[in-house]
Amino acid sequence: MAPTTAFQAHVYRSLPETERSGAIVDRISKAISLGLLKVGERLPSETALSEMFGVAPSTLREALSDLRHQGIVATRRGRSGGTFIVRQPFTSADVMRKWFEETSIAELRDLGDEHAAIAAATVRLACDRAEPHEVGRLLDLARALVMSDRSEARAHADSRFHIELAVLAQSPRLMNAEIRLQAETVQALWAPLSPTRDPERVAAEHLAVARAIADDSPEEAQRLVLHHIRHDIHHLVDTKLALGYPTREERA
Amino acid sequence: MTTNVPALRAAGEIAAWTNALSLDVHRFAAASAALWSDRPRPLTITPGDVGRLETLAEAFLGSHDFVVGAGAIFSTGAIRSKDGGLEWWIRRERSIEKLEFDLTPGGERFYDYQNMPFFASANRTGEQTVWGPYVDYLGMDEYILTYSAPIQLEGEFAGVAGCDIRIRTLEEILMPTLRAIPGNAALLNAGGRVVVGNSGAHLVGERVRPAPGEGTLIPIDVPHLGFSLLVSP
Repeated sequence: MAPTTAFQAHVYRSLPETERSGAIVDRISKAISLGLLKVGERLPSETALSEMFGVAPSTLREALSDLRHQGIVATRRGRSGGTFIVRQPFTSADVMRKWFEETSIAELRDLGDEHAAIAAATVRLACDRAEPHEVGRLLDLARALVMSDRSEARAHADSRFHIELAVLAQSPRLMNAEIRLQAETVQALWAPLSPTRDPERVAAEHLAVARAIADDSPEEAQRLVLHHIRHDIHHLVDTKLALGYPTREERA
Repeated sequence: MTTNVPALRAAGEIAAWTNALSLDVHRFAAASAALWSDRPRPLTITPGDVGRLETLAEAFLGSHDFVVGAGAIFSTGAIRSKDGGLEWWIRRERSIEKLEFDLTPGGERFYDYQNMPFFASANRTGEQTVWGPYVDYLGMDEYILTYSAPIQLEGEFAGVAGCDIRIRTLEEILMPTLRAIPGNAALLNAGGRVVVGNSGAHLVGERVRPAPGEGTLIPIDVPHLGFSLLVSP
């Protein structure tokens, strides 16, 4: 069916190869920072990757070259060769500052709205479906946040906890939604910018959610997780406001 | 009455900014109406009229860099049009582009503009209106605010001319003014919905119902739009 409006035509326009290459870099980097791919892990072969991503081999090579350039992957020749993940990417403070400048408060609030919707359903299902030994693991993940002292590790522990909630809910769709939301927000939440987020408080909120799930109290778990997400969004808004508003001239 | 000087100053600045924009929207409406002076009845919108409206919309967009869309919407009762009477343009990177709407009643993406608040309210009251923040599903699919002023033809309501501002742009424009107020402050629309807030306490889109003693409402001195400034400690 042909697009009927100018907007539809805009949405469905063919993707330029550079955007596809950028999207691959973005997806792999985010997967590593969320801990879905680990340092030391070997990526599938170039042929397999370009087939899975549905891109031309040249586009894939461009993406890998970009990742190599950033020091995130390294390619080794020979029998046990291949492309390996060598470093956990963490977005620089400059890039995060730019993200805060470009993301409006309206968009931050909307991000929180979506996360609240996903998380509320997730924790209710987790109460219904989680087995007692699984909740123990959730408590461990909640505690892991205060064990780490680097922002990268805290970001990882934070997102890992939220993704685990969706795992306990037994829903791959909710898990995918949670992974996408974590990829969008977690680095901003732990960015080395002022004001910094208190890991003790975040861990306490995570623990409270985990205990409510352990107690099989869906109402309480939902209330706590919504409260927690609201705190997160307030933190993002405060960080944005603390960075100040560049004038429109400065931006242009 | 409040003695919060920074808040009163902010309310004054927001009123001045909004009144300047209102004046321009009124001029835009008057220039649109002038296209039909001395025309025989019944009035119609010709392809030539659409071209002239485009010139007006382009000029409006050109002189207001914070505006993302501008145009005119006509009342089907007042003026006949083959294409439905929704003439609206949006800013593209280097040009402007006409928005296409589904104006077939019952259509899957039917844009029922005669019942849209910024049209219906101007029709009912004959005064300028503002609508938003709202998600303009079916139009630009963005989070926007729409200002409109009535187009009068021979003393009768014939439609509105107006403009859209992205909420994110409005946030950039008004935040320095709101941030000059100590404590939590938010610009509210007539329905008590936050347009821009200076902290996480009042987020855009939320409806605020301050309990007595919890905050002060300072009216923003702009006719008919119903804006107010909520200031809470």
